[in-house]
Amino acid sequence: MSDEQINLDGGQTRMEAAYGSDDGDNDSSAIVAKKEASLGAIFEQNYRPWDGSLGPRWVRNYAIFRHHVFGLFTSKGHRHYNPFVRLTILVIFIGAISPIAMLFFSSLFGAGPDSFIDKMWGINRSNLWGQVLGYFPRNLCYWPLLTALVVGGMISDDRRNGTSAIYFSRPVTRGDYTLMKYLSVAVVLGFVIVFSYMAYYTLAIVFKGEGWGFLIDTLPMFLSGLLCSLLLVITYTSIGLALSSISQSRFFSAIAFLSIIYGTKLVALLIDLQFETSILYILSPYDCLAHLGQWLLGLELNYSHSLSLSVVSLIMMNVISIMILISRVSSLEVTRE
Amino acid sequence: MTVDSAPKLVIETKDLVKMYGPHIALQGLNLKLESGATGILGPNGAGKSTFFKCILGLITTTSGDGTVLGYDIRTQGDLIRSKIGYMPEYDSLDPGLSAIDQVRYSGELIGMNPSQATQRAHEVLEYVGLKDQRYRKIETFSTGMKQATKLACALIHDPEILICDEPTNGLDQRARDFMLQTLRNTVNQGGRTVLMSGHVMDDIQEVCDNIVMIHKGKIVVHRRIDELAKQVDEEIEISVWGGSSRMQNSLESRGLSVRRLGRVMRIKVESEETIPLILECAVESGVQVRKMGEYKPDLEDIFLLIMDKLGAEVKQTSDLMTSEHTGGANV
Repeated sequence: MSDEQINLDGGQTRMEAAYGSDDGDNDSSAIVAKKEASLGAIFEQNYRPWDGSLGPRWVRNYAIFRHHVFGLFTSKGHRHYNPFVRLTILVIFIGAISPIAMLFFSSLFGAGPDSFIDKMWGINRSNLWGQVLGYFPRNLCYWPLLTALVVGGMISDDRRNGTSAIYFSRPVTRGDYTLMKYLSVAVVLGFVIVFSYMAYYTLAIVFKGEGWGFLIDTLPMFLSGLLCSLLLVITYTSIGLALSSISQSRFFSAIAFLSIIYGTKLVALLIDLQFETSILYILSPYDCLAHLGQWLLGLELNYSHSLSLSVVSLIMMNVISIMILISRVSSLEVTRE
Repeated sequence: MTVDSAPKLVIETKDLVKMYGPHIALQGLNLKLESGATGILGPNGAGKSTFFKCILGLITTTSGDGTVLGYDIRTQGDLIRSKIGYMPEYDSLDPGLSAIDQVRYSGELIGMNPSQATQRAHEVLEYVGLKDQRYRKIETFSTGMKQATKLACALIHDPEILICDEPTNGLDQRARDFMLQTLRNTVNQGGRTVLMSGHVMDDIQEVCDNIVMIHKGKIVVHRRIDELAKQVDEEIEISVWGGSSRMQNSLESRGLSVRRLGRVMRIKVESEETIPLILECAVESGVQVRKMGEYKPDLEDIFLLIMDKLGAEVKQTSDLMTSEHTGGANV
């Protein structure tokens, strides 16, 4: 024992009363406890060693990714998504690819390029923009609802259930954890938003039997729309995960996300109607994306403020969200105190 | 299967200091821990959790060095955590998963491939007594089953060091006994090192041979429990019926040191003559000696004695235990 360690010699222990707590000067009868019957042994416990080898970092990271993404398709063995959530996501996906059905009918009827169906659902600048950034129904219902459902418990569940300890007591870094959660949400959103957009464009060409000339004409527009869809996925993922990381409640994350998307839009709309200025739209993530998307696809801009303000606002929203996310993930404890 | 191997150094720290702003959590911790079972004791805020975080390589130390299984705690945290199994004190399970899926996932998070993790999850769940419940969802589990699942998660990769933070929290007597037996088997059969913290001294005494006591960020004791017990005064404990005060006076008149609580007295052993003297006093006072025996101090006695010497106000285990610790039973 080192010098600074305590020496016990001569110490006296505590005393506890037994057989009653009176002063001990009177005779009394003892209380005899009933002996508990032995419960017996249930099984023989044998420690089994394991001498396998552990995989590298990507194996651990892929496990996190798989756990969250595969859970959407099968809860067995993966993160549990409520069946209602899965059903809603399916409905949103079907809604997102519904123009494909119209294009299919259009091809069956042999409608020309000036037909109603083609104007409404055919490949053109407005429709490509609308497939990702159209307000109704996509940005009023589909994408915000989809994001709210997916990000809801993504990090808040770990905070509520204490499962962060399972991650961080293992060789999973906070950076990897954050990145894999981010990627999981982005892939799910991307599957619905980006995949439906790509399927729409590809199948439109197939159904209409378009040639190389059409492809060359429309490819730049398609790529611009693709960039818009990626920006939308990134922005919504950043904001949604940041909200998920600051709370223990799925409901809070989801409702806060919807409030931000709808609230900023509504306030900006009211100000625009009252004072005829669109400047407050820079507070609305959707409108910043829509503004940038209009410019990327070469559409007429219907915002009166400068595009650069929307771009700066979009960058700021992402940076602030990611900073909040990193900061809150850093606060997740392994040993709670 | 019993593993008999010479103790080897598993954890070593040298002048380890950790400060949170101006607050010193660990003050120059010098520790050499050998394999086997060690209890980490200390009042709340003593620095136990900070110590665990340091050896898991989760926080950067302010100064000092340390190694766990030969890996540097400052630069090789990932490698350390792949060799350590950590069983947290609080809930750390996803209630929506079944036990087998939870344990398998925790194995995958450490780098096991899915098939290895699944096979091993079955083995460890059997080991912790959850073989028949492994397909049940964790949300339907009792506290004892959740604790066992956490232990299975910690054991899935057969870690060289198992850190258990209050493993018997909330367990009833039967589940507690099983948990302690499992930890003992992990040390004795598996040859693993177990570090165990807790407020219930009996639990630590049942599993561990050594204790490390931390107080205000410093190690105040690091010894074998039986060696510590030898430092405490040897006493004879008697229970008497009728005339305890007379008996006490008689003993004191013969120069014996007596401590009395109701009918129970403890008399310091001064020489081989102490027992005959006690019996003479009993005859003289006309009291019945119903029970007489050498009093062996337990770990709680030692803990309270040390805390008393340090001037720290620490309650007894029974005062610290809540219904969470006891599974609802009165202590």
